[in-house]
Amino acid sequence: MIPRKWKMYFKMYWVKITIGAAVLLLIALAVIGLNSLESYYRNITLATMPVNLLMVAMNAVIFVYMYMIFMRGGFSKLSQKLRVHGEFVNVKWSDVIGMENIKAEAMEVVQLIRDRTRVKKIGGKILRGILMLGPPGCGKTYMAKAIATEAGLPFVSMSGSEFVEIFVGVGAARVRALFKKARELAYGYGGCIIFIDELDAIARKRVFSAFGGTEETNSTQNQLLAEMDGLQEMKDKHGEPSPEQNVIIIGATNAPEDTLDRALRRPGRFDKIIYIEKPGLEDREKLFVYYLGKVEYDRSLDIGRLARKAVYKSPADIENIIKEAALIATRNGRDKVTLEDMSEAMERIDLGLKRMINMSPREKETTAYHEAGHAVVTYMLHPTNDVFKISIIPRKDILGAVYSQPKEELFSYSKDKLLADIKVDLAGYVAEKMRYGVTSTGVAGDFKDAMRIAHYMVWSLGMGGSGLLGDYTSIPETQLSDHLKEKLNQETNNIFQQCQKEVEALLEKEKAIIERIVKDLLAEGELEYDEVEAIFNEFGKTHTKSA
Amino acid sequence: MIGIKKPLLLFTIYCSLFTILCGCTATYPQDKIKESIVRICKQEYKSDVLVETAGRTMVIYLPLSDLMDFSFALSKAASEKINDVIFSAARVALSTDARIDFYCVIAHDIKMPELQIIIIKSVEDVKRLFANDISRGEYMKRMLIDLRWSPQAKKEQVVKEIFNKMNLDPKWQDQVMADFFRSEPTSLGDIGYWGSKFYIKDITLAEFLAEQIANRVKLEFREDKSLKESFLLKSAKGVYISKKGKRLFRFEAFAERSATGTAGTIEDSDKIFETVLSVAAHVIHGYHFKDHDGVEVFDQKEGRSIEVDPEELEAFRTKRLKLNEIGR
Repeated sequence: MIPRKWKMYFKMYWVKITIGAAVLLLIALAVIGLNSLESYYRNITLATMPVNLLMVAMNAVIFVYMYMIFMRGGFSKLSQKLRVHGEFVNVKWSDVIGMENIKAEAMEVVQLIRDRTRVKKIGGKILRGILMLGPPGCGKTYMAKAIATEAGLPFVSMSGSEFVEIFVGVGAARVRALFKKARELAYGYGGCIIFIDELDAIARKRVFSAFGGTEETNSTQNQLLAEMDGLQEMKDKHGEPSPEQNVIIIGATNAPEDTLDRALRRPGRFDKIIYIEKPGLEDREKLFVYYLGKVEYDRSLDIGRLARKAVYKSPADIENIIKEAALIATRNGRDKVTLEDMSEAMERIDLGLKRMINMSPREKETTAYHEAGHAVVTYMLHPTNDVFKISIIPRKDILGAVYSQPKEELFSYSKDKLLADIKVDLAGYVAEKMRYGVTSTGVAGDFKDAMRIAHYMVWSLGMGGSGLLGDYTSIPETQLSDHLKEKLNQETNNIFQQCQKEVEALLEKEKAIIERIVKDLLAEGELEYDEVEAIFNEFGKTHTKSA
Repeated sequence: MIGIKKPLLLFTIYCSLFTILCGCTATYPQDKIKESIVRICKQEYKSDVLVETAGRTMVIYLPLSDLMDFSFALSKAASEKINDVIFSAARVALSTDARIDFYCVIAHDIKMPELQIIIIKSVEDVKRLFANDISRGEYMKRMLIDLRWSPQAKKEQVVKEIFNKMNLDPKWQDQVMADFFRSEPTSLGDIGYWGSKFYIKDITLAEFLAEQIANRVKLEFREDKSLKESFLLKSAKGVYISKKGKRLFRFEAFAERSATGTAGTIEDSDKIFETVLSVAAHVIHGYHFKDHDGVEVFDQKEGRSIEVDPEELEAFRTKRLKLNEIGR
């Protein structure tokens, strides 16, 4: 009885095995042939063999080169060749930082994979596919590998984009090759996990052309559907389910769920959907601890504050921040990553690199007043955001910035929060106006943002003052009366005006703080969280935010 | 990295396996050279031969029943047999662990044993021919072929005539002949087979070259049109001698001047010198032979000679010096 793994290896590598055996046979024949020669002829043959081999190799290289250049359009096509490799990954649950809820859900999946027989016995449906949805860099691939490791199954991974080809049928062929490889591995190991990253590349809603043709993506997706269905029907000669059907497909995408084709989401295909979100505060702390553990860092670093500052950051972002901070520390001649390095790394990633441009003193002062206005309003009026940094050093296309983040990620926004956002946006304008009587072009971005929020509040959220409720953007604008539109726009303007008044009143009152911030900014260029806090405390203001 | 290492490892294993399995042992071991040639000639060519070695020279004696045809030319059958034996000797000389530098085939007609064909070849030349290092034409010129009366036979016939005149008892004739008139050869011209005895010597490269140069000079005088018109070469001999502590290649040429020739006496001599030196320089250079102190050419007709040292000879060969600029 030939062990199943041997059969699997033969199925998978029969070409290599055949070539290897043929080479060995040829060697044996060559040895026999050479041994039948007299020693001089044998020696001369052996002596000339390297030269002959070299000549043959050179001929082969020239032939392949000419063939590739003239017949196949160059070597760049080679890289497009599909290669499917199975591998045993080694990512444990403990390696997946945070995401406890998702881990628990994934653990259930592992149990289902492990207990297939039991599930079948009680008539349960075998898990066929898992769809992981979530923003990029949140560990979907990592989670898939952890599932494969915990289930003890080989892991075949491909990106959705690898299926996409200009030639019709190539993508489908690649899907067939992928499933063939997975079935071979499943035959040997009792199961296999296919991971398709960026699934949206082949799983978007299909387009059915009126002219009878289909897009290449359609045929790729059809093949994927067919392969997933085909897995359920595989039986061995005794009518028992074949081990080759134990193939689980894990798809991952950061595209919205409703952009995917419904056929893929129906039961029997991607049965289970796991939503992977960006990490919460606690998880971010764990991630900082984990990634900081890989570099030398100042032990006095407040990881809690870093985690608060890194709200909305994915694990990949956090890893990137720490790598960037390590580079900055090295560049600055430090052997440890400090708070300063972390802060600079975050800003580099969020705001971009500092630009060394020469601003006139007046420009600098205008920017300082503008940013001070933003900072004071954020600090005193914003219900959720902290001011982490104020800067008048130019970055990308901005001359200055107030780096503020909510204390915790928010999943819905209150009216207060939205109004505060508008006030913060208008604060730059008001501060400039109060100081100089005129304003600069620096307010353009703020106005645009504030107007968008105010418009959204009135037109979509029913947050205007006149009682007009409903989402007026959901109906064509031509169906809205001019009177209604005028009223809605008036509401928007009222919000704007009201906010402006409140900001003017506040900034007038806190003029001293503004002047102090401007003075420090002009002297230092940037003010960190602690320095900002100290200024406000000096003027008897304390920070009371509720998330 | 793994992708590159695996094929390299496999390739190394295959090559090692191949080399080990092929082995490096000689097909004809040193102690079985004679039996090997005898066996090959017998089994593969139905020829009976005798083999003897002297130092690094291997000599094969081939008795034939019809060496010459009615026109006194080498018969086709004899020619084929001789070629078979030469080929067998080459096979063994090439695939043995014994150091063989020259091999020699002595063929004679059993009905006329005094007339012998002596063929001498250098093993190195055979190797170079196989490696395409020399052309077949050059290879043929490097081979020494001589059809001659056996010197020993001539000597013994003369001695026997004397014995007969002396009425010496035939039973003593052999004894006296063996004791006083049979000796080992001292030059290539003495090599032969006579009276069930090999007369052989260990051939040196120097004497082989001297003989080869003389043969080539003869050929040159036969084939070159202007030489042929001007001269009638009667003899050309070449030896490698030691003279006044110097090791020299000495060539003696005797050439009659033809009636149509227009050149003067000295010019004729110079032409002979030029031809011989040119051939000698070419051959010595072709074998990378360094173990000599010069070349001497003697024009027997005019009694003039020229001696050139190796540096001059090389300059002459490469046309950096002319004849009147070299020699003493």
